[in-house]
Amino acid sequence: MKFPLPFSKSKHNKEKAPEETAAPRKDIGMMTPLKMDFVQLIKDATQDPSDLIVKDIPPNITLIYIDNLVNDQVLTDHVISNLQKKSVDTPDSIKAALSIPEINASTRLDVIVKSIVTGSVLIHMEGHSQVIMANIPKLESRSLSTPENESQVIGAQVGFNESLSTNISLIRRYIVSPDLCNEKFIVGRRTNISVALLYINGIANEQMVNTLRQRITDLDVDSLLDSAVLSEMIDDNSMSAFPQMLLTERPDRFCDGLINGKLGIVVDGSSMAIVCPQSFIEFFQSREDQNLRWQIATFSRLLRFTAILLSVFLTPIYVGALTFHYEVIPQAFLVPLSESRALVPFPPVFEALLLEFIIELLREAGARLPTKIGQTIGIVGGIVIGTAAVQAGITSNILLIFVALSALASFTTPSYMMGNVIRLIRFPIIILAGFWGFYGIMLAFCFILIHLLRQTSLGAPYLSPFYPPRLKGLANSIIRLPYPLTSKRPEVARPVDKEKYKPEPIKPENS
Amino acid sequence: MNNTIQLSPKDMINAYLLFFVVHSTQIGVGVHGFQRIVYQDAKHDAWISVLLAGLATHIVAFCMIKTLEVYGSNDLYGIQQDVYGKWIGNFLNSIYILYCFVAFFSVLRNYIEVIQAWIFPGISTWFLSITLLLIIIYAFTGGLRVMVGISFFSVILAIWVIPMLVFPLKFSTMDSLFPILEVNIISLLKGAHSMTFTIIGFEILNIIYPFIKDKKKTSKYTHLALLSTTFIYLSIMLVSIMYYTEGKLLKTVWATLTLFSFISFPFMERFEFVAVCFWMLIILPNLCLYLWAAYRGMIRLVKVSSTKFVWIFSTLAFFGTLMVQTRPQINTMNTYLGKAAFYIVFVYPVLLYLITMLKKKFTSQKEQNNEKI
Repeated sequence: MKFPLPFSKSKHNKEKAPEETAAPRKDIGMMTPLKMDFVQLIKDATQDPSDLIVKDIPPNITLIYIDNLVNDQVLTDHVISNLQKKSVDTPDSIKAALSIPEINASTRLDVIVKSIVTGSVLIHMEGHSQVIMANIPKLESRSLSTPENESQVIGAQVGFNESLSTNISLIRRYIVSPDLCNEKFIVGRRTNISVALLYINGIANEQMVNTLRQRITDLDVDSLLDSAVLSEMIDDNSMSAFPQMLLTERPDRFCDGLINGKLGIVVDGSSMAIVCPQSFIEFFQSREDQNLRWQIATFSRLLRFTAILLSVFLTPIYVGALTFHYEVIPQAFLVPLSESRALVPFPPVFEALLLEFIIELLREAGARLPTKIGQTIGIVGGIVIGTAAVQAGITSNILLIFVALSALASFTTPSYMMGNVIRLIRFPIIILAGFWGFYGIMLAFCFILIHLLRQTSLGAPYLSPFYPPRLKGLANSIIRLPYPLTSKRPEVARPVDKEKYKPEPIKPENS
Repeated sequence: MNNTIQLSPKDMINAYLLFFVVHSTQIGVGVHGFQRIVYQDAKHDAWISVLLAGLATHIVAFCMIKTLEVYGSNDLYGIQQDVYGKWIGNFLNSIYILYCFVAFFSVLRNYIEVIQAWIFPGISTWFLSITLLLIIIYAFTGGLRVMVGISFFSVILAIWVIPMLVFPLKFSTMDSLFPILEVNIISLLKGAHSMTFTIIGFEILNIIYPFIKDKKKTSKYTHLALLSTTFIYLSIMLVSIMYYTEGKLLKTVWATLTLFSFISFPFMERFEFVAVCFWMLIILPNLCLYLWAAYRGMIRLVKVSSTKFVWIFSTLAFFGTLMVQTRPQINTMNTYLGKAAFYIVFVYPVLLYLITMLKKKFTSQKEQNNEKI
């Protein structure tokens, strides 16, 4: 049970990538000792951008860098001033003179070009073909802020931002352990985006790590702009509407996954990190459930599950019952129902689809607009359109309640990606209910059940711990068990170390 | 025994899942209206007939498991090939495949009939048939893991139906049960025999046995499943006898559904509308596993891919549903299937067990003789 060393793997990748990208472009692979030739080579290789700065430091040193990529302060304080003050005569002495942690030397053009676009200053000395690359990148990133899409009341209020190094430092703050493995990959033939694979050695399942690593290295795309794209590319079934990997912007949720033996992926330039394997039920669990007392957390979990069921099936049942099965509606309820529908000219299915469409329209408009206007739109939509629609007699107010309720319920899903699916699958079910009543609803239910049974997440069954059934895991997914009872990690990631702790301390109390 | 089935642990299922498989294949369309058929023979002692039938399932399952244990990791098809030789074995295998097809078809056709009779009188048979078959094909192509998963969920998600039997109890009287044992033993046995169509399904054990991971626990979970099935049938039967008057029960085709029909909640009445639709989930494992059982047999006879097989099978079943249309036809089909199933499921396994035992004794004696020489 030994993992391959993460270091060797990442080095291997770093070396491999430039060969593929730069080699076909330039045949001349080596540097020259002459200053003029060197400058020309670099200009040719980088397409002579307007922000390429060539700076001479007498007597014989030339600096080349891209203005927008390097940190100006470090450049003046550490590089230029040191080169001017100290006497340097060989490339090695330059290396010694500069107090910069990441500094390399090479004579290969492809390596050098690669280095300059990642934010290095190239230092060339007349008469030497070796070029010094001092990496002082200007890392522009947003300051840390609260997670916008996964807010919670109790718990840490920090979210990932778009910088890979910041994100990894956030994760390392939660998991202070030498066992935290961090493998780096370069993905995207043209854009060369850094992707980090994180897991805890000794908990994570080796087979799963290998599978995921294989999937990332096998990926042959020219660009990678977000982790959401990556997760859709590498998950088990890209054709399914259900996400098989969790996208989260919360470092604590991410680390919670790692602790339970899951694997995490962080993509540079993306504020969402991937956690996998993820089972279906885990999409409906919030990190906050762990922070609240177990009774409260259980209550809100049950509330959420009820909400999901309502959200998916309430409107279809209304449509099915009103179109075909009047018999199932109790008499006392039938009167207000028929009164409210007396003026409505449409069949129930059309009425429901119309209202659902309006709600989705409001949500979409709210998501695209700035926050303040979005709120206004919500109020306008909710109150004005809703009331007007009922008064105009195109919908019944009971359906309005149902539709609003199911929309509200769908937003309780702690994962935005899964919330979207919950809202989406409602539409086909409403249509089926409109044509074939409860039979249609049941068809859809069976189809979804079989579909979910067929899915896997990184090879692990998607419906775990429901199927295959794990009693403890099952109890802990529906309600939140108190901590003395949850000494085992969830089964979904098939962790190597199955126990979080030894459950001995509570035994004396019980006996 | 060169035709044993070798499987990797990944394709196998845990023994406790067998409980759900056996239980879910036993309960299907039969439960809708088995009371009338049993009542015809055994009158108000019908519940004893249910118990007898349950007892018979235990005995037969015991024989089945003993036979399978002799062969280690093999299914009925392989055993028949081994016991009777290639030709007779394959002939019997074909009969078993045909039986699976007819059982599949019968479940499908009965369910379609129930939907048409109770909810949608106007809906066309071909539509119901196609939608159900498509769902089954989707499940079948997912493999055994998915099908066993459906069995599991069909049991778990249907548990809430059982407490519904409490509602009719308000209008029942215990007096209907007495005097106990009024009819003679022959009638009781006849009644138990009529249970065949309702209680079959556990013969899936013959086919699924090689796929079980820890085979030692097979009998434990199988008998547990049979016990719970008998318990459910028994409670439904008892409630029915207590609720209905004699003449009424003899005229009610779907007595269980009629029991459901007056259950009401503050938010819902006429529970049978929900129950009939919900029954789709309960018959799904029946359909999937009969289909799968037929497929397992078919690949022993001819080389056929699972996709090709499932489409041919479904097409045949589809045209079959169009041909068998009226209630008398369906009833005749059920009766004949029940008769055939009695011999295939109840009589034959005991026979096979005896033959296997004799053969085993014979071969071991022969080996001993060989060693002596």
